[in-house]
Amino acid sequence: MIELRGLTKTFGDFTAVDDLDLRIETGEFFGLLGPNGAGKTTTISMMSTVLLPTAGEILIDGVPLTRRANEQKRKLSVITQEYSMRQDMNMEEVMEYQGRLYRLPRKVIREKTEELLDFAGLGEYRRRTVRHLSGGMKRKLMICRALMIEPEILLLDEPTAGMDALSRRQMWNLLRKVNNNRMTIVLTTHYIEEAQALCDRVALINRGKLQKLDSPDALIRELGPFAVDETAENDLKTRYFQSRDEAIEYLSSAGETAALRATTLEDVFVVVAGRKLEGR
Amino acid sequence: MGIVTVLWEKWTEFRRDFYKITVSAMVSPLMYLIIFGMGIQTTSHGEPYLHFLVPGIVSMATMTGSFSAIAQNMSVQRLYEKALDQIMVSPTPLWQFILGQVLGGALRGLYAGCVILLLTYPIRTDLIFNSLSLFIMLLNGMVFSTIGLVLSFMAKSYSDAPRYTSFIITPMSFLCNTFFSTEQMPAGFRQAVAILPLSQTSSMIRAIANGQPPDVIGFVILGAYLVVFGLISMVFIYRKKNL
Repeated sequence: MIELRGLTKTFGDFTAVDDLDLRIETGEFFGLLGPNGAGKTTTISMMSTVLLPTAGEILIDGVPLTRRANEQKRKLSVITQEYSMRQDMNMEEVMEYQGRLYRLPRKVIREKTEELLDFAGLGEYRRRTVRHLSGGMKRKLMICRALMIEPEILLLDEPTAGMDALSRRQMWNLLRKVNNNRMTIVLTTHYIEEAQALCDRVALINRGKLQKLDSPDALIRELGPFAVDETAENDLKTRYFQSRDEAIEYLSSAGETAALRATTLEDVFVVVAGRKLEGR
Repeated sequence: MGIVTVLWEKWTEFRRDFYKITVSAMVSPLMYLIIFGMGIQTTSHGEPYLHFLVPGIVSMATMTGSFSAIAQNMSVQRLYEKALDQIMVSPTPLWQFILGQVLGGALRGLYAGCVILLLTYPIRTDLIFNSLSLFIMLLNGMVFSTIGLVLSFMAKSYSDAPRYTSFIITPMSFLCNTFFSTEQMPAGFRQAVAILPLSQTSSMIRAIANGQPPDVIGFVILGAYLVVFGLISMVFIYRKKNL
């Protein structure tokens, strides 16, 4: 279980994460959503100890996570938004370096490297240096590296950024599979449909503050599971309804440009983020 | 052990860039040897100038070899490649990572110094280089590796590493007992230069080369630099909030 207690991070006058309290259960697939600059990456960076909080703390299974907490860190693996790898190493060296950092036996490192690189379709490029890989290949290599150590907690910061639709779906399947093995996954993403498809619960954050926290279904129910989009003078307005009958009734009184559809997590995100933007 | 992991990483780097590392370790010292030692033929303290110059150049080579191996590399890893994030999140104790970097950098410096010794071997200067000289070269490399680490943790952009070389390494190369004796410097400035690590390394290696025992104070000064910059690098890696 991961607990964030009063987590705060400031950079000079700017507060990136503001008194964030979260509790992520073991085996949960948890999403952190928010607009650009909401504090998602900063939160993940603190959860991987790359950044230290200005105030508050992070606990893993009740033990504070610090840069000295090696036993806690052993449970963690992270896939960062940027390609955080030695560019002059080849794929095998990247994997071996990771294995050595986690003190895996050489035999295990060799076996895991072969298994994971083949699984990701990277086997034939194992001797290619990172700087000569495409963006998608680098992303896959980072996933192989993260999974090599069989972590209990996987932190994913925009793991499918830059991937094509097919690769993204493949990644979703892979993440579902590893989550079924009771791995706790914390995901930040710009793709809201990704969070809706994968996450048990999501936290919507904006300007470093927690706005909403619940399962995607519950958040959608709260807003209204039925949405009617109305286009008037190039302006799209959406109304949300708790029942289909209410939505149809409104639709019949609206113009021809109105359309009924199911509410998505993206609607929740837009409403919450939009409300905040208006309130600035 | 994290130290072995870092040394393995340094070894893969050395193996891959062997020619580049070797040639870059040779070029500047070789130029200095040719220009000042052979081109401008002169004497120092009644001896051929080359006898004075070789120990200084060897010391300088260990300094630049170690410093560039760490300062430049770590700045790139931290700011550009973000590869330091992988270390920070791993269970490898960070003090072992630091120690591995310091040893790895020192070995690169020692290699650079040994390349110069090999190059000057045919000149037959009759200078003595023994295991104590190698130890001093290693110690000097450790000092400049820790300085390189601290500066790389302080760097805010990729261009800071070359700046540090211009501000720190280049002045030390010329002032610290490498090309001329600090005895000729004005009082005050002479003492300030004398406590710099390269001055001590050059003095000790030169003393051994001439068959004299090295001044123990040199070990104390190098040890003090190692401890102080080692501790600063530990504080940075454990305490710096935005590494």
